[in-house]
Amino acid sequence: MSDQSDNTSRCPFALDRRRFLQGLGAAGAAAGLSGSAWATSPPETDNAHDVTSAPISTTTQQSHPFHGRHQQGILTPRPATGMVVACDVLAWDRAGLERLLRTLTERIAFLTQGGTYPERDPSYPPADSGILGPTIAPDALTVTVSLGASLFDERFGLTSAKPKHLQRMTGFPNDALDPTRCHGDLSLQICANTHDTIIHALRDIIKHTPGLLMVRWKQEGTVPVVPPSHDTPTPSARNYLGFRDGTANPSTDDDDLMNALVWSGTDPGEPDWTHGGSYQVVRIIRNFVERWDRAPLGEQEAIFGRRKDSGAPLSGGSEYDAPDYANDADGKITPLDAHIRLANPRTPGFEKHRILRRPFNYSNGVEANGQLDMGLLFIVYQADLEAGFITVQNRLNGEPLEEYIKPVGGGYFFTLPGAVDDRDFLGRPLLKATATGI
Amino acid sequence: MSRRSLLFAASAFGLMTLQTPAQADVAPDALVEPVAEYKLYVLDNLDQFVSHTEKFTQAVEHGHLQRAQALYAPTRVYYERIEPIAELFADLDASIDAREDDYENGVEDPDFTGFHRLEYGLFKERTTQGFTSYAKRLMTDVNDLESRVQGLTFPPAKVVGGAAALMEEVAATKVSGEEDRYSHTDLWDFQGNVDGSQKIFELFKPLVAEEDPAFVQRVEKNFAAVEATLAHYRREADNPEAGFVSYEKVSQADRRAFVGPVTVLAEDLSTLRGKLGL
Ligand code: HEM
Repeated sequence: MSDQSDNTSRCPFALDRRRFLQGLGAAGAAAGLSGSAWATSPPETDNAHDVTSAPISTTTQQSHPFHGRHQQGILTPRPATGMVVACDVLAWDRAGLERLLRTLTERIAFLTQGGTYPERDPSYPPADSGILGPTIAPDALTVTVSLGASLFDERFGLTSAKPKHLQRMTGFPNDALDPTRCHGDLSLQICANTHDTIIHALRDIIKHTPGLLMVRWKQEGTVPVVPPSHDTPTPSARNYLGFRDGTANPSTDDDDLMNALVWSGTDPGEPDWTHGGSYQVVRIIRNFVERWDRAPLGEQEAIFGRRKDSGAPLSGGSEYDAPDYANDADGKITPLDAHIRLANPRTPGFEKHRILRRPFNYSNGVEANGQLDMGLLFIVYQADLEAGFITVQNRLNGEPLEEYIKPVGGGYFFTLPGAVDDRDFLGRPLLKATATGI
Repeated sequence: MSRRSLLFAASAFGLMTLQTPAQADVAPDALVEPVAEYKLYVLDNLDQFVSHTEKFTQAVEHGHLQRAQALYAPTRVYYERIEPIAELFADLDASIDAREDDYENGVEDPDFTGFHRLEYGLFKERTTQGFTSYAKRLMTDVNDLESRVQGLTFPPAKVVGGAAALMEEVAATKVSGEEDRYSHTDLWDFQGNVDGSQKIFELFKPLVAEEDPAFVQRVEKNFAAVEATLAHYRREADNPEAGFVSYEKVSQADRRAFVGPVTVLAEDLSTLRGKLGL
């Protein structure tokens, strides 16, 4: 579909996920990011032998076009670092909200394409944090703006235009939600090849939105880089339980599938302004990794329904082969309560419940008991929050995996449609739809 | 008070942009007078600070718990107003105003002295017993501070920068209620910081007003917004002496409503030095 190509035509690399990962793998190798396999050939630079020589990246010039029918950061291949920042909106009227949305649009357009900051007289604070130097590279940065249900309260006259399914996240049976890490008027999903790029983007946005936006909570995460693979498809990155994660995601190359599963636009019950947007679910899911590492491999594999080393389904084949449940009605091969079987039983009619997962691994610190505070920054996108995340999570309630995980935070948001050109700004259709509503 | 009205009060802020700011053409000797006036302001507040600290520490030494509790916040206000200068003496700032978080061993740390050590006794342990030595030490430190400030040449950049520094104080420790966590008298300190910042702004305003009237207007508007919000929490509307209600009474939503104008003031006032070529 042309919407998609609009969004990516200026992208310097194809959006094909596997090819992209290969590219990243090369970057990882050049940067010496990790892995003994290629640590033997360090990058050749003049000063690479100095102990404080900067690590090298060959991917800082990668960029994703900002303008398009959809925002970036949804179908965009996940780079190595990401973060979700939930904010409260401090603007108190529609004019303030519009100023916020215009400012966000303007900052994101600049940050994702890169450029040079203006110089300032030294007696003034500098124009930005400077952590990337005066000229910033795009570094595959994406910043994705979404709105929480609380923004649709009486403050801005948006009540009548609330997306049909948008609601305040409620706890599921296994949740232990920490109120300081839940909800928000607005979320920013910030992703890039390197961590400093996302921190820089966040600080730039904070500096430009005083009095408009207040950070409520944030969670950073990473995706392990993988070496390029030549003939076979690149395997999925692993999560902190050691399993390949992302294998069975719906194909982002399939425009019809994305229109059905990810983008708002087909449900006549949704307000028109939502078209091209998507429901975003964020969940901070702690993993009890010490305990997991003491669980037998066979149990781990039964819990997910996949092989740990290859990611292949228990029913056989390789990672990207479909699991066979039809010939396994009793769950002798893939237990009926295996994570992937509950999450997607692959029965006729279940297709509409598929969701697009885009998670990051997080590692925060240490709990009082000396155990590591780490887990999954689980992010999913879907056209219908009820049919998507809520249905799937309700199916997963009580799954054996729960013994090893504890959701502690997150929220539901609606990701705004994209800004189509440089006269447009994020959220303009929403403001327009409610212009006389106050 | 309704959330709405508070947000209204708190939210006149807003027009600020981060365009490259205009720099006023300020002759260095134009700064002499406002700096001298500021020194008078500081000395006047220090004078009051000393006499209030006398009464406060006497109450502690004489075992008058309620009186000491009542004098705690009104005494601190004078310090909070002049913090940019007081902080130039790091040793005294630590012994007068450090918080338990500044010490690895918290309240138990032998180096932890000053107002917040007494606050812990008066409001958490609810006693003056055993606090005489802390009271005496505080009095000595405050007298020391006064004599040191008298002899100080005020650096103009510190004075002007103080307007923003005070708002940073508010943003970092007052809004969260960390400063006076046992007495919950944060709003008194809050007002002290705002007073001090506003004083500096008023003194230097004439030097920037012509060059950047929009800046002046915006800062005035945001100060007014903060004042209006604070006014909602006064114990007696017409009597500033009566002070403020407990910070516990300020809801989460209302605390957040402070953040807007305070952050814009911090951003805006951070350009004051630049505007004056300091
Ligand atoms: C810490 C928490 C979680 C971990 C470690 C985890 C891990 C995994 C793994 C390893 C897979 C198999 C590989 C793949 O297809 O990507 C998988 C699949 C899947 N997970 Fe999760 N997951 C977690 C939470 C969730 C949650 C909260 C949901 C939704 C409510 C979910 C929905 C799915 C879905 C839909 C699939 C694909 C199933 C399929 O189509 O075969 N997961 N997950």
